[in-house]
Amino acid sequence: MATSSERILEVRDLVKHFPLTQGILFKKQIGAIKAVDGVSFDLNKGETLGIVGESGCGKSTLAKVLMALERPTSGSVKINGRDIAKARGGELKRMRRNIQMVMQDPYTSLNPRMTVGDIIGEPYEIHTEVAPKGDRRKKVQELLEVVGLNPDHINRYPHQFSGGQRQRIGIARGLALQPEIIVCDEPVSALDVSIQAQVINLLERLQNEFNLAYIFIAHDLSVVRHISDRVGVMYLGKFVELGKDTEIYDRPAHPYTQALLSAVPVPDPEGREQRERIILQGDPPSPANPPSGCRFRTRCWKAQEICAQEEPLLQIRPGTGHESACHFAETHDVVHVG
Amino acid sequence: MKKTSTNVLPAEGGLGDEPLLAVDDLHVEFHTRAGTVRAVNGVSYTVGPGETLAVLGESGSGKSVTAQAIMGILDMPPAVIPKGQIRFRGTDLLKLSEEARTQVRGQRIAMIFQDALSALNPVFTVGWQISEMFRVHRGMSKSDAMKKAVELMDRVRIPAARQRVNDYPHQFSGGMRQRIMIAMSIALDPEVLIADEPTTALDVTVQAQIMELLAELQRESQMGLILITHDLGVVADVADKIAVMYAGRIVEQAPVYDIYKAPAHPYTKGLLDSIPRVDQKGQDLYAIKGLPPNLLDLPTGCSFHPRCPYRQDNCVTDVPPLYEISGTRGSACHYWREVLDGDQQ
Repeated sequence: MATSSERILEVRDLVKHFPLTQGILFKKQIGAIKAVDGVSFDLNKGETLGIVGESGCGKSTLAKVLMALERPTSGSVKINGRDIAKARGGELKRMRRNIQMVMQDPYTSLNPRMTVGDIIGEPYEIHTEVAPKGDRRKKVQELLEVVGLNPDHINRYPHQFSGGQRQRIGIARGLALQPEIIVCDEPVSALDVSIQAQVINLLERLQNEFNLAYIFIAHDLSVVRHISDRVGVMYLGKFVELGKDTEIYDRPAHPYTQALLSAVPVPDPEGREQRERIILQGDPPSPANPPSGCRFRTRCWKAQEICAQEEPLLQIRPGTGHESACHFAETHDVVHVG
Repeated sequence: MKKTSTNVLPAEGGLGDEPLLAVDDLHVEFHTRAGTVRAVNGVSYTVGPGETLAVLGESGSGKSVTAQAIMGILDMPPAVIPKGQIRFRGTDLLKLSEEARTQVRGQRIAMIFQDALSALNPVFTVGWQISEMFRVHRGMSKSDAMKKAVELMDRVRIPAARQRVNDYPHQFSGGMRQRIMIAMSIALDPEVLIADEPTTALDVTVQAQIMELLAELQRESQMGLILITHDLGVVADVADKIAVMYAGRIVEQAPVYDIYKAPAHPYTKGLLDSIPRVDQKGQDLYAIKGLPPNLLDLPTGCSFHPRCPYRQDNCVTDVPPLYEISGTRGSACHYWREVLDGDQQ
């Protein structure tokens, strides 16, 4: 583990609820979607934290709150010790330079009417202090080169590029302000298999070159394993397990993590009849009305009375070396992903 | 297109030597203003009863267009089928009249689409949509058809089917919607089911549920299953044999165990090598160079040659045929022996 002096992001008890209202004229709140409901973690310089979980578990809301695109209901997001969730105006603008995002879909996240040069250079329009006007074109060309695109293509439009190349443009835009943290929300899931590896290699190379810290959100567990130093598993707005990549993948302790890992198809037909498979029944419950106690208990085969009454905290449990939120946490090597 | 069309329906019962479904040297072109897109260039495969054929390929490889040609749901024009046969129980579907084709479509060859939300009609209840199959094809009364719809929803394990039969598609989760799609497709006990990326839009946990359901249904009814996907994991889990497609051609065809043990085409090998493996942590992943080809302007010779590490001079000029490696296996690479032995050139 890195020392705390290198810590760049500190998230504590982060909560984001979206109100559910009724009535047109006199809106009254009748409940809330608990998208993120008490998430805490740290991130060090140059480190990658992978976040996995099913759709609707709050991964993308978490990313938006980290970017201060959504204000948290409570909790703090400290970047280099300062809380971005409380920052306003000029301070917020300065802090945002340090945390940038790469979006999932390179087809909709680039404006089709802007040239590549304008897209990558746009951050400089907002943060004029980073690059004076005369330097911008040169800076953009350098960025194109860094992400492996031809600098002469600066005047082309997004439709003239393939999916993988567009994602490189998105990455170049994320790098423009030289941030220390990049939030990648499903950066390769829209790409073809043969192109995914190219983009993952690029992300890793950039991390080494610029000592970037990544929050890497994805549903492809073998990709997350490849790129992450630590992995957090989310279920209904909470982390159910958090640990080093080897701890999560080789010694998962939470039943949900075990089920998730066992559901991933292994790209090798050898011994497929004997493979252990935990198939969860049903769908995740609604985040507007999560189950009492442990949120996973409605789909869990280990659930007992205590699970409905007492919420298990994310902590190191006996017999396991990392944090998990289960009363009956027990390491169990389910399958090897990838 | 002038063709002699017939109303003779494919036979039922025993198969003899003929495979259940055989695609033979199929070509599909799209005539667009920008030029002719050659989406499928001579694809041949077969599927038997109870067998699972996985068609693996990236976007633009022609895997879905082939499936649409089998179903007869291509928009013609712009699509044109200049050459090839699609034989179902020995009858060439392409020569059938439109009425005869309708008899086959949905009843004997059915299809599941990737995005269940856009494939279902948002303004009708799911029960109405499932029962439509029985009303249209079997001429059942509304109430009988509705009863059958509930039975089917039970069969695809939708909880509380009787209560949910009058719900609309948006009231279901993604996994449940895909189950409804499956219920519609198996309604009339088809002999061949084509599943076009049935789990791509779903979470892994739900994907596992759906794949298990498909396998169970297949065991019960001995359907032939054509599974179109780009996921090497799903293929390894369920397929009996694989056809790998690239730029509208099959580049490798083999039983599932053979292909994962030792691929015989550089493209297949590249795909398998680019899967992140545990022991590669911290190293670069193997990445296939370059970009998928432009279908308007395919490379000469072997379409894969600009990206291929095994390329020789004749790859640029000569289109490789599907070389027979063994009775069940073929590779469209001039240098398949080297690829199979693993000698990088």
